[in-house]
Amino acid sequence: MTPRLSKTAAAALVLAMGAGGASAQNVTISVWAGGSGPNDNYRVDAIEMAADILEREAAIRGETLEITVDKKLDSTWDDFKQAVTLAAEAGNAPHILVTGHEDIAPWAQSGLIVPVEDYLNLDAWPINDIYDNLMEIASYGGIQYGLPQDAESRPFFFWKEHMRAIGYTDADLDALPGRVEAGEYTLDNVLEDARKMVDQGVVEAGYGFYPRPSNGPDYWQFYTSFGGVMEEDGKLVFDRAAMQRFYQFFVDAVEAGVTRKNHIGTPWDQWYAEVASGKAGLWHGGTWHYARYTNQEGLEDFFGSIAFSLIPAGEGGKPNTLTHPLVYVLTAQDNEDEVAIAAELVKIASEPRINTLHAIKSAHLGIAHQQSNIDLYANDRWAREATERLLPFANAMPNNTDFGTYWNAMWSGLEAAWTGQKTPEQAVADVEAELKNSLGEAIVIR
Amino acid sequence: MTASRDIARDGPAPVTARAVSARGLASWLNSSKGLGLVLLAPAMVLVVLFFLVPVVVTGLIAFTNMSTATGITGGAYQVSPSALRVLTDQHGMGALAERLGQPTYTVDEQGLATLEEMGIEPGIVAGLRERHLGETYSSRREFERAIRALPERPATRTVKRISAAFSRSLANERFASAGALIAAAEAVEPDLDAAEKQALVEATYTGWTWTSENFRRLATSRDTERVFFNTLFFVATTLVLFNTGYAMVLAIATHYIPERAAGIFRIIWFLPRISPVVIYVLLWKWLAWDTGFLSALLSNFGVRPRNWMLDSATNAWVFVILINGFVGASMGMVIFASAIKAIPQSLFHAAAVDGAYRWQQIRHIILPHLKWPILFVTCYQTLSLLTSIDQTLLSTDGGPGGATEIWSLWIYHTALNNYAGNLQYGYGAAMALVLVVIGITLSLLYLRLFNYNALIIKPRIEH
Repeated sequence: MTPRLSKTAAAALVLAMGAGGASAQNVTISVWAGGSGPNDNYRVDAIEMAADILEREAAIRGETLEITVDKKLDSTWDDFKQAVTLAAEAGNAPHILVTGHEDIAPWAQSGLIVPVEDYLNLDAWPINDIYDNLMEIASYGGIQYGLPQDAESRPFFFWKEHMRAIGYTDADLDALPGRVEAGEYTLDNVLEDARKMVDQGVVEAGYGFYPRPSNGPDYWQFYTSFGGVMEEDGKLVFDRAAMQRFYQFFVDAVEAGVTRKNHIGTPWDQWYAEVASGKAGLWHGGTWHYARYTNQEGLEDFFGSIAFSLIPAGEGGKPNTLTHPLVYVLTAQDNEDEVAIAAELVKIASEPRINTLHAIKSAHLGIAHQQSNIDLYANDRWAREATERLLPFANAMPNNTDFGTYWNAMWSGLEAAWTGQKTPEQAVADVEAELKNSLGEAIVIR
Repeated sequence: MTASRDIARDGPAPVTARAVSARGLASWLNSSKGLGLVLLAPAMVLVVLFFLVPVVVTGLIAFTNMSTATGITGGAYQVSPSALRVLTDQHGMGALAERLGQPTYTVDEQGLATLEEMGIEPGIVAGLRERHLGETYSSRREFERAIRALPERPATRTVKRISAAFSRSLANERFASAGALIAAAEAVEPDLDAAEKQALVEATYTGWTWTSENFRRLATSRDTERVFFNTLFFVATTLVLFNTGYAMVLAIATHYIPERAAGIFRIIWFLPRISPVVIYVLLWKWLAWDTGFLSALLSNFGVRPRNWMLDSATNAWVFVILINGFVGASMGMVIFASAIKAIPQSLFHAAAVDGAYRWQQIRHIILPHLKWPILFVTCYQTLSLLTSIDQTLLSTDGGPGGATEIWSLWIYHTALNNYAGNLQYGYGAAMALVLVVIGITLSLLYLRLFNYNALIIKPRIEH
């Protein structure tokens, strides 16, 4: 009998005994979500709603099941991941985690998380309605480790008024997303337009192109725009030329005076306030920015003020966007019974109606086909347009244990080139040396 | 021979063995050496707990490839696709990988017997035998669909148990021990040779292993040199300019101003140390942000607002050193000021009578008397700056572009901070170990340089 089988058998025995004896069961299921702001409460609240449904299902079967959901939202990623890994090593991991899909690989290897497919029928509703590509992103090595919690993508934004000021007509602006998608409007045009804005005094110097102020998955989009590939056949890929063109783009932006040399490290609050008030001309962000701009930042006419598209293509690449779905994953616990309940909870929380609450409130995209048949989702212009315009072109980062090392090296190289500490050539050479040194054969360098 | 020992020896002769040992203990405690050890014991315990044990553990972890992915407490043996790739690429055992790793579910009598043993309902077993005996599936999902299509549809948990009973490969199986892995592998592939077993165990192990790879990586990484010189620059500059230099200026200045004013002055310089570090650094950030005080002030003179702290590497260093230095200066100030106070006033009076200027007093009276406090402050602050992380992390976080990345921060970024969740404990520990070695070497060097033995006055009463 394999270990998994014996574990499952033991768990079933426990369940059977529970059913035979007193059928009252009190459990506390804890759920932690990382990188979650005030609009993201349904990441954990959905589990609570699911608990209510599961309790009712149990009651109908004649069992008493009382579930207390212990919820925790963490606004950062670094602290969250640190807390999770240390808690798991100490044997106190919460039952359910809401985290980035890229954590699946290292956490699966370490045994921190267990596959959801060991507990769930993947052919059952609502799992069978979830987009296949999202299910794929939540798996590792062919095993379904997690269920997608949300989807998003990362658009490129244009402040319409400033675009008009440098000569775009409304018709041009309406056609812009299509031209980006067709590869006619490229990152070269981005620099050109940003420069016009700065030269004509439409925006202040450094505000022509106003990128994300901190490290994030967004920067892989520019690598992709310049023809870079992150992973091929399960092996990481470092494309020297694409990486250099990508670094060069940001260096050019700084030299042209459209992006600030010291931009990285700008406080997020300041950044959001600036892009939502028209201080910047072109920038990039995420679909969830819609919620922030229109709620906290008080932008009233989003569609009248801002145009959005895919990230334009650069030399040697294609227009793209990146989706970084968060996933529900289950941690390994001594009590298999609790894991089984947690699995049921994430399944029910993936119900299109429940997930739509999160999608619309936080301006993320849906995870399942049927969400477009739910009025709350379908009537939301942002959800509808962003889904249509962006999601079909979305890539995802690979689930690979070594990807974090690659990512750190990519970011430190970009930062060094951007701030003028190194030339793009030097930065790429250093990243290459670093990757050869740290990953060796685990990465293909070309 | 100490006086206390003499007293102990001259006491009345012991009566019983127990009294002897009690008396022996008392006399040992009465001796200054014995009492010294007892009084030092709590300190020794603390040193062992909070210095030696962490250093030893760091030293051990430094020689492993420990990370989030490998876990800390040990690993398991998982026949994952990446393990199979290693088996194929590095060991040239592609065929074996294929046979072990290809998911295979075969409905056979052996599996059906297992189901009966497990107490699965006879109807389900019969249904499987009737409809699917002899069939083979290469996907768990497909097979489970077939199970669910039986007339007596089993519950999900039961479906999982049934499919596990028919699994005839090791695809994605996780084993707690190498023995279990080999046993399971032999069930699938009976003629494994020793080399194959060895390769299988190595390729599938998910835990950490001993290695000196971290040190090779550290020695050959281009970042090492940069971070090393950053750290050297940071420690030396902050130490010389602020922690000892400026502290000395403050101490001497307050020595020559009236007592009351000096007290107030010292309290003001103590503020950076007693305010919470997050708030202290936040105040600096407000000063430096492009919407902050400096920018607002300078915009009146036509200077474009900018983030002064992260504007260039030089700016960042100025801020990092000021932020750390203002905290560090207060400690030196207090120690130097009290040491100056301890200098007999008569020396100053005599010097004044001889017509010595202030500078001559400082040069010939104060500084020579401050040799020991300077050693202490230099030594203590070097170590504390080497390991200092909070102010730099909160202010520049090593930026811009890694310009202010210092060793301790680098350790933090490697071992405890990774966007993609794979924290590199082993590599971080190797970095930390280097820091420990540097710290100990520097301490020894300082003791030598300042002639520690000459600074210690032997207690006269013992001689």
